[in-house]
Amino acid sequence: MDTGHGLRADRRSLEALQRLTDTALAHLSEGDLLTELLLRVTEILGTDTAAILLLDADRDVLRARAAKGIEEEVEQGVEVPVGAGFAGRVMADRRAIAIEDVDHADIFNPILREKGIRSLLGVPLVARRRPLGVLHVGSLTRRSFSAAEADLLQVAADRAALAIEHAELFDRERAARTRLEALQRITDAALAYLPEQQLLTTLLDRISAVMGTDTAAILLLDHRRDVLRARAAKGIEEEVEQEVEIPVGAGFAGRVVADRRAIAIEDVDHADIFNPILREKGIRSLLGVPLLVEGRPIGVLHVGSLTQRRFSAAERDLLQLAGDRAALAIDHALLFEQRRLAEMLQRRLLPKDVDRVGGLEIAGRYLPASGETLGGDWYDVFGLSRDRVVLAVGDVVGHGIEAAAIMAQVRTALRAYASDGRPAPEVVERVNRMMWDLGPRAMTTLAYAVLDLEHESLELVNAGHPPPLVVPAAGEASFLPLQGNVALGTTALARYTSSVHPFPAGTAVVLYTDGLVEVRGRSIDEGLERLRGVAREVTGVDALCVQLVTRLLGEQRADDVAIIAARGARAPERLSAGWPANRESLVAVRRQLRRWLLACGADQDEVYDIMVATQEACANAVEHAYRPGRNTFDVEADCERRRVRVVVRDHGRWRPPRGTNRGRGVLLMSELMDSVDIRHTELGTEVILERTLAKAVA
Amino acid sequence: MNLLARVSEESHGDLTVVAVDGEVDASNASELGGRLRAALTNRSMALVVDLSATTYLDSAGINLMFALAADLGERQQRLLLVVPPAAPIARAIAITGLDATVPTHPDRQAAVAAAR
Repeated sequence: MDTGHGLRADRRSLEALQRLTDTALAHLSEGDLLTELLLRVTEILGTDTAAILLLDADRDVLRARAAKGIEEEVEQGVEVPVGAGFAGRVMADRRAIAIEDVDHADIFNPILREKGIRSLLGVPLVARRRPLGVLHVGSLTRRSFSAAEADLLQVAADRAALAIEHAELFDRERAARTRLEALQRITDAALAYLPEQQLLTTLLDRISAVMGTDTAAILLLDHRRDVLRARAAKGIEEEVEQEVEIPVGAGFAGRVVADRRAIAIEDVDHADIFNPILREKGIRSLLGVPLLVEGRPIGVLHVGSLTQRRFSAAERDLLQLAGDRAALAIDHALLFEQRRLAEMLQRRLLPKDVDRVGGLEIAGRYLPASGETLGGDWYDVFGLSRDRVVLAVGDVVGHGIEAAAIMAQVRTALRAYASDGRPAPEVVERVNRMMWDLGPRAMTTLAYAVLDLEHESLELVNAGHPPPLVVPAAGEASFLPLQGNVALGTTALARYTSSVHPFPAGTAVVLYTDGLVEVRGRSIDEGLERLRGVAREVTGVDALCVQLVTRLLGEQRADDVAIIAARGARAPERLSAGWPANRESLVAVRRQLRRWLLACGADQDEVYDIMVATQEACANAVEHAYRPGRNTFDVEADCERRRVRVVVRDHGRWRPPRGTNRGRGVLLMSELMDSVDIRHTELGTEVILERTLAKAVA
Repeated sequence: MNLLARVSEESHGDLTVVAVDGEVDASNASELGGRLRAALTNRSMALVVDLSATTYLDSAGINLMFALAADLGERQQRLLLVVPPAAPIARAIAITGLDATVPTHPDRQAAVAAAR
């Protein structure tokens, strides 16, 4: 064994190692470092060529990054599939491979052959166990590479891998920063304040600027016809103008929405493109993402390029993000419009001033669901005759404008059929047949109660609805038994039965929709029990509604809620109450007086006239009667043989009327009432108003 | 406005129409007056106050209308009212002679036509 040669070899190796791991290299840029490394490698190993190929993980190919002696490789952008040929095998096997004679080996890269390279040695570039590429050296003369030479090349490869990894990290950081800026432009909160169309246009402008595309478009899905239609476009505005329709499943956009996934087309010439405008415009490459709202597709966002282009995974993610933003905006706009319409419907349809039907004390509430869900709940109350009052609560299955529209129809139908004077079960049967004709989406649960004040009874038809609660003046509240009737719209031939229950004066009944008792995370039984518990503690129906809403419902409601409560009340013979002497008392006096007058049998005009006259007296008491210290006034009323007598008493002295304005109150009192008597006493002023009603309570 | 009444405004060039939906009493009449006066600009030729949806109006509101008519008159502007003849508030308006002082029309269309 020649030790001298061995030592020399060791020494050369050491020098070579030092040259390859030279810390000075670290100050070079990535490109310069790789070039310098390749130069040193060729010098140390005495080879003619050296090259570094890097892995493109997306496409599983190696591409030349730096080369010495075979610079064409970099210039021509040669690509070698992982696993194929020499470099491909080095990469796939992650081990050094030496080829003594390329003529007998499978070489993928034609340049190697053209250059006349005879022998090759390649090692994998690995950083932190992650394969980055391949470093290989070549010799124009035939040569057998030793294991030591392979080890030395591996040292050079490790150094290169480190530099590449650093550069990649830097690139990634810069890319992340650019991406972050792009994201910020696309998710810009200020966009939310733009009207929908402007938001979409701005978003398309920004996405094309960020991604450097020539076109961008948003197409929305028409669910009824299963087609996509352009809603906003940039660069291909014709698409919106010409109202191009693309069937779901067909062509590029049609497939994006059908498959609910991003699709990229590198060359439209080779793809199935449905939309002629894309072709006419000369678009070569396309990338499209679905617009999804909670996983439900509502359309497509796509960008296009006039030159051929391959969209990366990062670009696809960015476009999806823009798509999500657009979907949110579109969905909000649609929901806002729906919600506005449904709320308008609800507002118009809910009975106003429900406290004035018959001799009943009535209160109702409608609470829309939190967030963006629209419901089809409603309540209604109307008089059939002097002694018979209908209370109804219904819940249209489903949400949205459609549910609200069905609700409107059901409610109107119910009123129409009820006013024909038919028995309760027949009214419900007729409404059911009408519902059936509306189609399968029109299913509705309904609680329909007719209160008979004369006979003190309650007739109920319950069509698949939660059971109404009856609260007696004394004793336990209980739910009315279920009847086994199906929901409206279930079958055309459904027969409905009713049950009759006692409803003595002082008894209250509460009709409600399931949103009141179905609170998330709690069972319905628990909800019903809580409802019963609250009803037990509260007497007035309005107070009951307030309590039910505040105690049973949280801030967040998953569903809308309708409640109507009524208490059969005999008209009190006398009304007597003291009020704080301020203007805010006026409306409360009005409300109380109106209820009392209705219970006395006054008609609407009489109620109004007596109310105005009384208010004038109260206003005088509030405005003019007070010396400091005293701050109440009293309103008393009684009704004897159709003669209503209202006394408003204060504890001060009216100042003499000043000007014409003051005189109008007195004028109104005397014109609206049969008699007005104003008495000033030592204690204060008393106004006595009297009027005889056209008819009295039966 | 307090919760008793809601006011909605519409502008038709030099004509302003304000609808009052709800109840007007001593607790909100002066606030309503402020709203009605604010609805007027120097360009306004006339103000139509639509009381079709007004469910309660007593002397507090009626006094306001008289005062408003007088103010507008001094500025060469006109006040017109919309009061459906069958509305409960029509009786109090008739008793006080408001409809004899301020041009009163049965519907908005008639009032707007008269204001032009």
